[in-house]
Parts: sequence; C-alpha cells; structure tokens
Amino acid sequence: MTLLLAQALDPEGPVAESAAGLWWLMLALGAGVFVIFAVFLGVGLFRARPGDAPEAGPQPPDRFGPWLVGGGVALPLVVIAIVFAATVHAMRDVPTRAPAGALVVEVVGHQWWWEVRYPAEGITTANEMHIPVGRSVALQLTSADVIHSFWVPALGGKLDLLPDKVNTLVLEADEPGRHLNRCAEFCGLQHTLMGMDVVAERPDAFAAWVSSRQPAAAEPAAPDALRGRDVFLGAGGCASCHSVRGTSATATTGPELTHVASRASLGAAAVPNTPDELARWVSDPHTIKRGVAMPAPEISGEQLADLLAYLGTLR
Amino acid sequence: MSAVAEPPPPGPGPKVEEPLTHEELNALFADPPGLWGQLTGVQNDKLGARLLFTGFFFLLLGGSVDSVVMRLQLAIAENSLVSPETYNELFTNHGTVVMFLVILPIFEGFAILLLPLILGTRELPFPRLGAFSYWTVLFGGLLYYSSTLFQLVPDAGWFAYTPLSGPTYSPDLALDFWVLGLGVAEVGAIAAAIEIIIGVLKMRAPGMTLSRLPIFAWALLVFSFMILFAFTPLIIGSLLLELDRGFGTQFFNPAQGGSSLLWQHLFWIFGHPEVYIQFVPASGVVSMIIPVFMRKRLVGYTWLVGALVAIGFLSFGLWAHHMFAVGLPPLVLSFFAAASMLIAVPAGVQFVGWLSTIWAGRAQWKTPLLFVVGFLVIFVIGGITGVMVAAVPFDLQAHDSFFVVAHMHYVLIGGVAFPIFAGVYYWFPKFTGKMLDERLGRWNFWLLFVGVNVTFFPMHIVGLLGMPRRVYTYSDDLGWGPYNLASTIGVLAFIVPGIAVFIWNVLRSMRRGERAGNNPWGGDTLEWATSSPPAEHGWSVLPIVTSRHPMWDQTELHKGDERLERFVQALAQWPLRWRAAVIVGTADARPQEVFRVAHPSIWPLVAACGVVLIFIAELIKLRWIIAVAVVTVVVALIGWNWPEDPPMSVEEEEAFEREHGVAVNAGGSVVVATWGMGLAILFVGIAFSALLLSYFYLRLENPIWPPPGIDEPGLARAAVAAALLAVSGRVVYVALRRVRIGDQTGFVMGLIGTLVLGLGAFLLQFRDILTMEFGATQHAYGSIFHTLAWFVGVVTVGGMVMLATAAYWAVRGQYTVRRHATVANIARFWTAAVVIWAAGFGTLYLGPYLT
Repeated sequence: MTLLLAQALDPEGPVAESAAGLWWLMLALGAGVFVIFAVFLGVGLFRARPGDAPEAGPQPPDRFGPWLVGGGVALPLVVIAIVFAATVHAMRDVPTRAPAGALVVEVVGHQWWWEVRYPAEGITTANEMHIPVGRSVALQLTSADVIHSFWVPALGGKLDLLPDKVNTLVLEADEPGRHLNRCAEFCGLQHTLMGMDVVAERPDAFAAWVSSRQPAAAEPAAPDALRGRDVFLGAGGCASCHSVRGTSATATTGPELTHVASRASLGAAAVPNTPDELARWVSDPHTIKRGVAMPAPEISGEQLADLLAYLGTLR
Repeated sequence: MSAVAEPPPPGPGPKVEEPLTHEELNALFADPPGLWGQLTGVQNDKLGARLLFTGFFFLLLGGSVDSVVMRLQLAIAENSLVSPETYNELFTNHGTVVMFLVILPIFEGFAILLLPLILGTRELPFPRLGAFSYWTVLFGGLLYYSSTLFQLVPDAGWFAYTPLSGPTYSPDLALDFWVLGLGVAEVGAIAAAIEIIIGVLKMRAPGMTLSRLPIFAWALLVFSFMILFAFTPLIIGSLLLELDRGFGTQFFNPAQGGSSLLWQHLFWIFGHPEVYIQFVPASGVVSMIIPVFMRKRLVGYTWLVGALVAIGFLSFGLWAHHMFAVGLPPLVLSFFAAASMLIAVPAGVQFVGWLSTIWAGRAQWKTPLLFVVGFLVIFVIGGITGVMVAAVPFDLQAHDSFFVVAHMHYVLIGGVAFPIFAGVYYWFPKFTGKMLDERLGRWNFWLLFVGVNVTFFPMHIVGLLGMPRRVYTYSDDLGWGPYNLASTIGVLAFIVPGIAVFIWNVLRSMRRGERAGNNPWGGDTLEWATSSPPAEHGWSVLPIVTSRHPMWDQTELHKGDERLERFVQALAQWPLRWRAAVIVGTADARPQEVFRVAHPSIWPLVAACGVVLIFIAELIKLRWIIAVAVVTVVVALIGWNWPEDPPMSVEEEEAFEREHGVAVNAGGSVVVATWGMGLAILFVGIAFSALLLSYFYLRLENPIWPPPGIDEPGLARAAVAAALLAVSGRVVYVALRRVRIGDQTGFVMGLIGTLVLGLGAFLLQFRDILTMEFGATQHAYGSIFHTLAWFVGVVTVGGMVMLATAAYWAVRGQYTVRRHATVANIARFWTAAVVIWAAGFGTLYLGPYLT
C-alpha cells in the first residue's frame, strides 16, 4: 500500500516515529467514527418503513435525548480524550531544548536558500547539512528576512524560522539516509525551489565530512583556475556577495562557497551539481531559478570558463 | 412539548391573507423604477439577490478559473504551463476571493433575501445599511480585482504573513490592493452583520418567540455576531499593515521593535472564526432542509441551537492552531490543541440531531436532500481530519502540506458549498416562481460529489508524502505525480462539468422551468406561505405564529389572541403612506413598536463611494483625497439620517397606540436605533480592544519599554484632558434629563457644554501628542503610541460630530419630550468614547511607568 511509503509515516527518527504512531491511532479512531456514522446514515435513509404515506394523528414526543447525550457529547468526548492524551504523550517525545551532548547546528533561512553553521566545529556552509545517526541534533532556527519553515518529514515535524526569534528543533536520525528539507512556509517567489539535502550518516562518515569542510580553500594550481579566481575576486565579481575562506572574499549576502564543488546540488537543491548545470547556473541562474538574487555575470566566454575552472577547485 | 402530529404530505399549508390593500402595500415597498431605482434601491429581495449574484460571480472568477489553472500546472511533474509569479498570484487570489468575496456575500444574500419571509416581517431594520453593505462589498471586490488591470496582482498568500507582505519584501502596490480592497469589503460585511442581528432579534412575526425561531435564523444570528467579533480585529490588523506599508510605521518590523508574529495573531483571531462563520449558516441551511425532506420535525432543536452558540464561542479560542509551527511553548500548544478538539462536541451534537431526524423520518429524494446527504458524508471526513490536525505532533507533519489542503477543502466544499447548492435548489422556487430541473440537479450533485472526492482525497496522501502547499512544481522522482494527476482529472472531468450543469440548470429554469406554487416542497416555515415570487413587502397581514412549524401545525396564519388579530389586521389597513414594520420583544415576540423603515435613498451609495475613495486615495498615495472622501462620508451619513417630518401628526400616532397598545414611531424606530447604537459601540470597542492587545503584545516582545532615547510621557496635560472629558460625560446626561422634562434651553446649553468640554479635552490632549519628541515611524513604541492615540481621537471626533449635529437640530426644536431617542443614543456613544479615552490614554501614559 502506497500510504505506507508516505515519508511522514515512514519515520527514520524518534520524533517522526511518535507523530506517525499518533497518526495510526487517530486513523483507526477516525475510521471507527466514520463507520458508525455511515451505518446510521445508511440505515436511517434506506431502511424499509411500514406504509408509504406519513401517518396522521398524534405522535409521542421524540425520544432521542439519550442519543444526543451519548452520540453527540459522550462519544466525541471519549474520542478526543484519547486523542488528546496521545497528543500530550507524543509531545513529550518532541524535546524543545537541546539535550546534553546534542550536536548544535545553526540554520538561517534566506530568500531562497539555507545558511548552515556548526559553531563547535567551526563550519559555515550552505544548502547542505550532514548529521550523525544516533545522536540528538539541536537545530537553532532563525531567519535573515521573511518567515521560512524547516521540514524533513522522515525525521520529524516542521518548525518555523522567524526573523525575530531563535526556535530550537531537536531531531535525531536512526539510520543513514539522504533526505530533502523543503521550506514549508510560503516565503516568496521561489518558495518552491528552497530545498536542502540533509544527509544522515554514521559517526565516522560524519567526522570525515566535518574535517573535509573545515580547511580553508587551497591555492589553485592550474593557470585557468588562477585566472578564474581573479574573476571571482575582481570588482563587481562573485566576491561582492559570496565568501571563500582563505581568500579576500568575505561577503555574507549569498551562500558561502569554500567547498561548493563537493556539494550535491546547486541553487538550494534546484538542480544537481554537475559541471553542465554549474555552467548554466553561473552564466545565468535565472534560467534555472527565476527571480533569484544572483545576477547573470557580464563576463566573456573565456572568463566564464576560467571561473568554472576555479569553482571546480573548491572541493 | 405535548403530543404533536406528523407533518402532512406536501401541500400548500395554511393560507395567507391578501387584503384589498395588497397592491398598495406592494407599490409602497417597491424601489423606484429604472436606473435611479437600481442606485437608490433598498428593497431586501433585490439586495439579497444582488449579493448572491455577486458572490457567485466572484466564485466563478476566483474560485473556479484559478483552481483549474493551478490543477493544470500541477497535473504533471516539472510542468511549465504558468510561471512561478503567476502560480503565486493564482493561489493568493483563489484563497482571498473564496474567503472574502464569495461565501460571505452568498450567505448575507441568503439572509437579506430570506429573513423577512422566514421571520414574518416586511423588511429588515436598516434597509439603507443593507444597500450600503452591498455597495461596499461590490466596490471592495472590484477594487481588489482591479489589481489585475495594473499587473499588480497580490502574491503573498491569502494570509499575507509579515514580513513577506511588508514594505521591504513586497514593495510594489500589489499588497496594497489586497489590504485596501478587502478592507472595503470587510466594512460591508460588518454592516450586513448589524442589519441581520437586529433583524433576527427584534423583527419577527408576533408570537415567534426565541424557541419558535427557525434554526436558520439562529445560525444567521450567530454568524453575524461572529462577523462582528472576527472582522473587526482583521480591520485593525489591516490598518496596522497598511500603516507599515504606506506610512513607515514599525509594527511588523523586527529591527525596530515590531513583531513578525503579531500579524499572525491578529489574522488568525479573524481567520479561524472565519471558517466557522462560513460553516454556521451552512449548517443552518442543513437544519432547515432535513426536516422538510424527511417529513419529520428536527430532533433536538434546543440542542442544535446550543451547538451553534457553542461553536460561535469556541471558534474564538483556537486561532493558534494555525500557528503550531511558529515555536509556541508546549503549554500553549496543549491548550489550543484541546480547544480545537472540543469543537467536535457541538459538531457531534449537530450530527446526532440530523441523523436522528433522518432515522425517524422518510426520505423524499429531491436534489436539496441529495446535497445535504453529500454534505454529511464529506463534512464528516473533513471533521475527522480536523481532529487529527489539532493533535500537535501530527500537525507539525501535516501543517502547510497538501494534507491540510485536502482537510480544508473537505470542510469548505462539503461543509459550505454543498449546503449552498442545497439552499439554492431549495429556495430557488420561492424567488423565481420556477422549479430547478430535478434531472439536471441529480447530474449536478453526482458530478460534484464524485469530483470532490476524486480531487481532494489523493491530496491527503500526497501531503503525507511530503508535498508542501504553495509550490508551483515538483520533481518527477518524488512519486507525487499520480496523485496530482488524479486531482486534476477530478477537477476537469467532474467538478467543472458539475458547475456547468448547475449554471445551465439555473439559466434554463429561469426561462422555462416548471412553475412553483407557494409551497412546492411542503416546507414548514413561514416563507412558504407567501406567493412565489413574494410581493415587495412580503406580508400584507402579518402572520401570527403559534408553532415552530407554522406551515405544518397551524391551520390559520392570522389567528391568535384577539388583540393580536386586530393589530395585524389593522396594520394591513394603516398606515398606507409610509413603510410600517413591527418591532417585537426579544424573548416573547409581542409587538412593541410600529416604526417607519427607511425608503430608497442615494446616500448609502454616496457613503460607499466615499469609503472606497478613502481606500483608493491611500492606494494611489494622493492623500489629500482622503480628506475629501472623509467629508463625503460624513455628509452622506448626515444626509442618510436627515430627520424627516413624520408623515402624520402625533395625534394620529397616539390614536393607534391607544387602540392597540403598541407604540408608533413614524419618525423612525426608537428600539432599532438603540440596538444599532449598541452594536456600533460594540464594534468600536472590539476595534479598540484589538489595538490594546497589539499594544500589550508589542510591550511583551520588547523588554525595554519605551525604547532607549524615548522618555516616559509627562502626565499633567493628559490628566487635565481626561478630567475635562469625564465631566463632559456627566454633562451630556444632564442635557438628556432636561429634554425629558421639556426644558429646551437647559437641554441646548447642556449639549453645547458637552461639546465645548470635549473639544477642550481633545485640543489639550492632541497638542501634547503632536509635540511628542518621537514620531510614529520611530520604533514600534512610537507606532502603537500614535496609532492608539489617534484611534481614540477619531472616536472622540465622531462623538463630537454627532453632538454638533444634535445641537443644531436641538436649536431648531427637533427634539421633544416624546421624540428624543437620538439624543439618548448619542449620550451612550459619548459615554463609550469617554471610557475608551480613559482606557486608551491610561494605557499609553501609565503603561511605561508600570515596569
């Protein structure tokens, strides 16, 4: 049954699991209520009655009082009491504060991309998040502009990123997997293309990823990449908005690019990060994601080739 | 209740009398002919039909075309039929139009059209307010829609969350069209609500006590109170948003002490009751139709009335369930989860009442019943998913996903659209004299019933698969394609043809439908006694009601105690020179007053033009026009209420009073005016409360209040001003006592004294405000300080305009010992203004010290 494959109901973490458990309970209760309703409606409408014409003459007053009390008040009260108890129980599985030993990740929503920082590890990246399995992750969510919402259905429910507050979302992944976090609060023109890969992996793989993200960018060796770096850092160039650690590029308007070449996707999960897509993205991002803040650069074909060569070194 | 008889088979029921004066009364209540009559008309049938037509017009425009295009775009993965801009505009428009411009006008149309007949009265209390309501809804809708002409279509969602909808992220005028166009329509909704409340409570047939009130009227009463309490905070929210957008205030700007969530609170305090505002009258329609087509009295009438009232109250306590994902504390989440689930109790009572009636009755399978059964099935599914999304941990998954889209359409199509269709099929014969075709009706029903399920059921699944709302496309590998395709097929193959059949049925039946008699369905309520279509005045001889089901239980419609009989017969003969209607006691429904309802007038249209001009001037930023428009509105209101010489002498009135023991007020109703003023004060009070709530919300969000660099306000001037105003609040009652004992000089002096004291307080206070060291654009503190101050100022100026008008008429000797109700009402308003002044300036001046 396809329903069983539904992401929110195919939990890969304890938070999503308790929400899914609540769902199955409510589905069972809801189905029961619907069946009771349907039986009464169907029988009431179609059961055979003596005679065709309505009876005339006096008729005793209605005797439906017990039904109103039982079916109208008691039954809903019982059902919602069960659902409410299950709700409160499940809410206790959703921590609202970072437990001790949790990995802290700061997530800042931007129109329309995700800034991701690991303060203890000294990493800043964008549109990619790796988390170790079996360890609580405390996401500190906030926004640089409008309201966004963080949602990875397989790991748990969503929580908003507000410009004037930091919200903490605690998640945990039970098993390795690649998930998509998709913005769930309408945030403007490209709300649709505001995604981020969230990779849950074994602690050793996670540690390897962390150490791959920590070093500053290496000095490029190839001459075209060196020329490309000049394009990147030149006046009015990429460095007006982007930063690459180890260079003079420190602007924070756009995503951090120190290791952009080894990310899985471009444009906040708009397209996969292949050389062709990267070339298309850099030469005119609006063909992929209309309305994005990044302009198409006014550079020659050779400069573009150099720039792409440089970006390719940012692994 | 003692033993009652089963209702008779479909038949005409008791006869309504049509005396010789019938034609004369009909002409008296008719609007003038021609275009002028269209512009000045106040006749309730015409207004109601116009509202209904306008609502359906916007439904086809915004409800249907938009959704078809959206479904085409989402039919297959990675489709590029429409651009992201267009898609965002489409879903914004779809939600906005349906929530503001479709369902509300349709139910207000039903109300204005039907209530006089159902209640057994000739008119509603404020025919001119009804006309004003229609014009504002129409103009507001057109102003909103005119954004299309300028390529400035709103695109921030129907909820317009800040900061996205604020000046930084939506800089062009598109959102101003949204705020201002809807603002006009909201004014119209509130006007109609006031009309309906007083109509239901005070204008009924003699003998129609509250326990005999048809349940649809109860539903409309609850509906109208909810509009008053829900739309008023929205108007305040819209005001704050527009001030941020147009005047640089900081209410929603976090960088300057504003709050991104304040808007969500104000919006959902409106937005959640709005859902029940739509459901409550729909369930009223269902409660009217089931008994007629089951040939069985409604089971549990009192319970169902209680359920309606309970829903009305509960719906205001659960707005935050739209905000489960914003990061509220767990205790708050649990409270709102419990409150949201509790609504299942009154809904459960309604369902048991309906099911019991069906159980005990025998189905007459006509189209209205089909739609009602469809309603029951679809709405119960929407209700079950409604309890699910109240469970916080599950909602955090379902929230803003297609699961919620599915839930909401089950609720709104099942719970509201199906009863509307049922109501149209049920009452169409009454208003056109023609039956809608039954065969087409069955096609209409089955196409929609199948279509709704095919379209919206798969959305539950695709939502749980992770598909968020408001996305213009999705990638192929997510497995969402088949569900989306099914939804699109549901719309194209079933819903669109279903709507087409409905339109065809209406057009066809208008021209050559089978003729309907007075009571084609064998209905139990009073509207089925009148001719189809009804006369302009509805009733020549008012009915006397002795049962909840007069058409089933009464053999005579005009028999009762002898005094009442003479009264209703006398009213059919006198007065034939002015439009007389009857006010009854709220509970006992005994006649209290015969009064003159307003006749056609151009002023409601002028006032509506003035209101829309205020909003247009703000839209195009030509703010001097606002002054012109405000003057237009004030002039129109004065013209609208211009006292007219009673068309008869006091002696004549007194003769009728002596004869029947019922007061006559040919100059205008005392009771209606008092109730109207009471509701106007309530409206102002709710608006003021919403502003106070905003003040305290911002106060709590800002640990330092006032912000650094702004001093606490000085108290001396404000204290003197408040004292002056408090004294004026006593003086106006001195004036009132003077007129009651016939002391004209003392009366005039008292009014002028009140005015002078009020003006003094106003000048003193606002000199202080205008010389403040900080402006409205400086920090949210300055924004709320000046906005709240000027709100109180406008209320006070409104009171002073009333006082000045009253003083003018007092000098001209308009008010007498017998006729001075206007002055009493103005005194009440002035008292309210004094209280609001004290609370408002008390908060503003003392608040900063209380930390």
